[in-house]
Amino acid sequence: MELQGRKVAVVGMGGVFPTCTKLDDFADKLFSNQSLIREWDQAKHHGKQVRSSVSGYVTEEEMHLEAIYSSHIEDYPETYLDHLNRIPHAHLATADVGSIWAMLATLDAIKMADWQEDDIQSELTGVVVGSGGSGTKIARSAWRNFFELGKKSRSIGTHTVDRSMFYREAANISCLIKNKGVCESIGSACATGLGNIGHAYRLIQYGIQDRAVAGGVEGTSLESFIGFDGMQILSRGFTPEASSRPFDINRNGFVCSFGAGIVCLEAYDIAKARGANILGVIDRYFNNSDGDGNMFHPSYDGQKRLWKGLLGNSGMVPDVVKVHGTSTQVGDAIELFSIADMLGDKGYHIAAPKSQFGHMLGASGSVEMIAALLMLERQTVLPCLNSVQLNTELEYFQQADSWEGPQTPMAHFRELIPQEAFKKEINTVVCLNYGFGGTNSSILLSKDTQ
Amino acid sequence: MERQDIIDGLVEILKTVRTVDPAKLTQVTEETDFIADLGTPSTEMINIAAKIEQKFDIEFDDDDIDDLGSKVKDVVDLIVRTQEKA
Repeated sequence: MELQGRKVAVVGMGGVFPTCTKLDDFADKLFSNQSLIREWDQAKHHGKQVRSSVSGYVTEEEMHLEAIYSSHIEDYPETYLDHLNRIPHAHLATADVGSIWAMLATLDAIKMADWQEDDIQSELTGVVVGSGGSGTKIARSAWRNFFELGKKSRSIGTHTVDRSMFYREAANISCLIKNKGVCESIGSACATGLGNIGHAYRLIQYGIQDRAVAGGVEGTSLESFIGFDGMQILSRGFTPEASSRPFDINRNGFVCSFGAGIVCLEAYDIAKARGANILGVIDRYFNNSDGDGNMFHPSYDGQKRLWKGLLGNSGMVPDVVKVHGTSTQVGDAIELFSIADMLGDKGYHIAAPKSQFGHMLGASGSVEMIAALLMLERQTVLPCLNSVQLNTELEYFQQADSWEGPQTPMAHFRELIPQEAFKKEINTVVCLNYGFGGTNSSILLSKDTQ
Repeated sequence: MERQDIIDGLVEILKTVRTVDPAKLTQVTEETDFIADLGTPSTEMINIAAKIEQKFDIEFDDDDIDDLGSKVKDVVDLIVRTQEKA
């Protein structure tokens, strides 16, 4: 049984994006077909220890932050300075870089939402924000000082737990804005960003909260990069801007990136009554699991069920599908075929923002939903950069007797996948994200028409 | 080391604690309370203790830190006592 519940509006958004100073800068770069991916000096510094060296990263300096290192233990950021005085010291002291980004993005989103202090500090305002990583920059140094250098536990101080725990971004946001409703994090690997927004949507839909700050964050972390590099699944061999190439026949992995995406959600009727600028309406959220026992491999069946769960038998075809589109060999193909199975081969377009800024891990779902909201705002479809050539032959798994999907090669769907942004009437966008463990998430967004 | 020298050293440490208002550090005496007068978050006290150990090249006993009061004189007393033990 499913309750219809309340409609939910998106009324604010903010974020941290590679090479971008603010949201408008991010939008301008995306819609002018630019890549935000660069060679990363931190990765290159390790020479042959790493195989990939491109990333959509954000430096502390670019965010006007400065790490203050401990005077008594090695290489340990004791706290951060905010050279623009946006975040008070007491809140910087409890935050890792990702949590600071989360707080900054929240302030921007709330400003756009035009929420007043009574709204923010209400029992009906929640914070639902998470990340994929685990505060590795703080933890790595702390544990090295204790375990390898023999320092006392007190030498690493009182802020290792709060700066490395799961839920640290939500906790820091909540302490900053002083909301009195729920404060929690949803963790679902690379679906985390969308999963947190989806959970917040449900809290409002079912009347538990009236509004929520929601999204995902992934603070720049060489440790996260190295973890994926070790799995041999990062793109290599291309120039930075050509490295992320979803659906292209020569794709060979994703680009590990970092960022933050925060949205302000509000019960539609409340937002409408106060004359809020509604950036989009969340019509539906659906998530599920593959159920095939495989941690990594994407599931055609799981994604087909995801689509059924999202759209049912409505026959609805969204104007744009914002794909997960990581630029991995099997992942992109399975995703394309599951979309085609549900929607057919015409009447919509596919946007792949990871082609422009890489895979922001726990932030990807929320930053890409912001990209989807920008598509609604600008009535322009974002491209799939570098999708130059699609496979004209069947994928290996399409040739198996057990394959139940399309019997046409990826090249058959060429017209759905633009290589440059283009104008089009957009009233609906579906956002898709998947994560390790076989978790799948989807959201249906629409333009406010009332 | 004179007690005033120790207080001066403590003030130098407190200047590095961003959550303490520097304006409150101009008139620190033995009676000043870290938490009540300087507004030091209680969670920062252990960080300050670790910095004191480094600055004065001493090592506190865990029991002494557990029993430490929040006034400047409590900390000065402990530093003096620890220096004497060494």
